[in-house]
Amino acid sequence: MFVAKPGLVVRVPLAEADDRTLAGRASDGDVRAFEVLIRRHGPLVRGYAARLMGSTDEVDDVVQAAFITAWQQLPTLSDPAAVKGWLLRVANRKALDRIRARKYHDDIDDESRPPLVTPDSTSPEALAEHHAVQSALSRALTELPELQRQCWLMKEVAGYSYDEIGTDLGLPTSTVRGLLSRARTSVIARMEPWR
Amino acid sequence: MTPTDDTSPPSGDDLRTLPDRQLTNDELAGHTIDELIDYYDAGLMPPNDSIDTSAGCQLALADIAHLRQLTMHLVDDDSAAQPPVDEGWITSILSHIGAQVEAGRDVPVFGAEVDSRVVITEGALRAIVRAAGDRVDGVFVGRCRFAGDLTELGAPIEVEVEASMLWGQNLMQTAELVRENIVADVRRHTLLNVVAVNVVVQDVRRPSHVDEGGDGREGNDGGPEGSDGGRSRGRGGREGNDGGGPEGGGDVSGVGGTGGAER
Repeated sequence: MFVAKPGLVVRVPLAEADDRTLAGRASDGDVRAFEVLIRRHGPLVRGYAARLMGSTDEVDDVVQAAFITAWQQLPTLSDPAAVKGWLLRVANRKALDRIRARKYHDDIDDESRPPLVTPDSTSPEALAEHHAVQSALSRALTELPELQRQCWLMKEVAGYSYDEIGTDLGLPTSTVRGLLSRARTSVIARMEPWR
Repeated sequence: MTPTDDTSPPSGDDLRTLPDRQLTNDELAGHTIDELIDYYDAGLMPPNDSIDTSAGCQLALADIAHLRQLTMHLVDDDSAAQPPVDEGWITSILSHIGAQVEAGRDVPVFGAEVDSRVVITEGALRAIVRAAGDRVDGVFVGRCRFAGDLTELGAPIEVEVEASMLWGQNLMQTAELVRENIVADVRRHTLLNVVAVNVVVQDVRRPSHVDEGGDGREGNDGGPEGSDGGRSRGRGGREGNDGGGPEGGGDVSGVGGTGGAER
């Protein structure tokens, strides 16, 4: 059994600290701890933002802006252990802002954006069934209408409540329920062959 | 908004999109998918006989559970599929935030006998406390708070730090070292009257670089394991451990005991 004795040097990098410790330090102004959080959760946040936006275009900017805002708002985070989900929500707001701005500026050339790359182009032989199923889900989500997709991701991935989704999207809760209902029916139907 | 974003709830017709099996309201004993998802989210509580005894509902619930699982995999896969984090991108974020450390209160460092007033910010004081605690092997200091009037020289100040410690460390001894370091460093840099340093052990990490003989447990990377359990509090420099008694005794603090106490 490993026993750390006083005096025995056990230097471990900050990267091994848990989320709560890191978020606590970062909210106290430790930039190094925040950097570890960026490295740890950056890919998750980026993947989520890309799904939400339906495109990898602009996603780096959005996630960057999200982390900068997160740094400013960290002292308001009441439960530092929940920093991962909280980062998703900060990124969620940034992505929605960007989507709204995009709509305002280029409502017309909707098709010009590079599509989200889904892993369905890999050779079938190489795909384990897991990947095939995941691709099917990935496609099902990609093909959902934008609002439905946003509602679905916010509910199922970021853990928003119906009310919270309504607030952030500027929709009545009943509308959110309707959109989610359609999204779910459609996703479940598309996943049916993979059951 | 595209026409397909029609926000009305789906009619029965919309549900008949399944190739093999029809998820009609009849099949679901009059329930809807949304109802079932809410039921699932509520942990199948309170028990609903009509759902529990309907074969169609049970199939749909299995679908829902399966989909939840797939979603979590998808999020993991999306994370893993991201390009390696670009160093320039990180540097750019850090350069934006570097100048924005919240300063907090001004803490006087010298007495009134000195003509000019010298202060350090609360933020800098936190950095001193952090560095002092981090000097103890295996310890990471987390959040740090001060109770008392920092702006008044000589006022009694209590320091509370959260700490992450290493599995196998004697938590009491380690907390004592943390306390000693913090008191020493704060006294070295300021004239603050520190009357207590409270150490809250909020995480006990399995060291990832130590082979534990493959017991299947991984290094704690923010997971629930070992978190939120041990509270080792000592006041006024006194030895104290009134949270989750270590079960191991001797030199080794039982992580199971401290970590599991409040789970």
